[in-house]
Amino acid sequence: MPDNRELLRKCLGELGLAPRREEEILRELGEHWEDHATALETRGVAREEALREATNSVSDWPGLRRAILLAETEEATMNYRTKVLWLPAFCTFTLNMVLLALLQIAGFQPRIYWSSAGPFVPIYIPWLIALPVIGAVGAFWSQRAGGRVSHRLLVPLAPLIIWWGTMLTLLPLSLVIDRQVPLSLKLWSLLTYIVSWWLLPSLALFLGAVPFLRKPQPQA
Amino acid sequence: MPGIDPKIKRGSGKLAVLALLNQEPLHGYEISKRIAQVTGGILQFNLASLYPLLYRMEKRGWVRGRWEEAKSGRKRRYYHLTRAGKKQLAPLREEWSSFFHALHRIAGVAHAG
Repeated sequence: MPDNRELLRKCLGELGLAPRREEEILRELGEHWEDHATALETRGVAREEALREATNSVSDWPGLRRAILLAETEEATMNYRTKVLWLPAFCTFTLNMVLLALLQIAGFQPRIYWSSAGPFVPIYIPWLIALPVIGAVGAFWSQRAGGRVSHRLLVPLAPLIIWWGTMLTLLPLSLVIDRQVPLSLKLWSLLTYIVSWWLLPSLALFLGAVPFLRKPQPQA
Repeated sequence: MPGIDPKIKRGSGKLAVLALLNQEPLHGYEISKRIAQVTGGILQFNLASLYPLLYRMEKRGWVRGRWEEAKSGRKRRYYHLTRAGKKQLAPLREEWSSFFHALHRIAGVAHAG
């Protein structure tokens, strides 16, 4: 089998398709390339020259890349990243929020753990217990859609990435706006927030995703 | 022999590929070689023009690619015409036939069909 896929990958750039499909396309184009070069060789062209001519037969590599992507996504309303990342991440986030809201409506109260320094750590035990299931759903969804390991890891953690982003925006704002609360208390609050709303949920979601990080990707 | 405008070539590509695959499954290089041979080199599809067309036709379910061993012993992706593809062939032939007929009437272009 000709090993010209790396050169093809350089010429074409990353297609952003499902890894197996991308590999298949590179393999197929590589075979065509090799046939073209072999045909030139049988006509007396030197191997090196034949390969160069086969490469030059495509004058517009970015154009070919665009044409392949267009063909591959013509029937699919969603592109690869939407299928393996954005959609499952959005659903994981929604599931997470709905579950938390339902628990609050049902009257579940967070368990309060007091720290020696003063501020408390509120923890929703039933929510934490359910989070591995949500993490598993997100990672499984991404895996089924052909997501890479990085996607399967990012999808379950999406809710926490969003929360963390929100917190990083709100904290500096509160430092400016609310000057009556001492800075030390704000920082302690941030710490408890990190533990109860970020660190523990991250661990729970990650635990759920672990089985799907190890399994091989399915056929695209 | 004057070159064929790429837009016309692209439009005719569907019919050319479907008609060839209606005879037997072929891999990409064979398709491009066969088209060039049959048309005396007037229609030529290279890597850049053939594969996007094949992938689009595959997405539409007209052809199906399958890795099979070629005579050379190498695995090649052979394209098979599907039932949906076969259904496309007759209307496409008619369409092009009407097109050439119309051109013949207006510009004296010989009707091949």
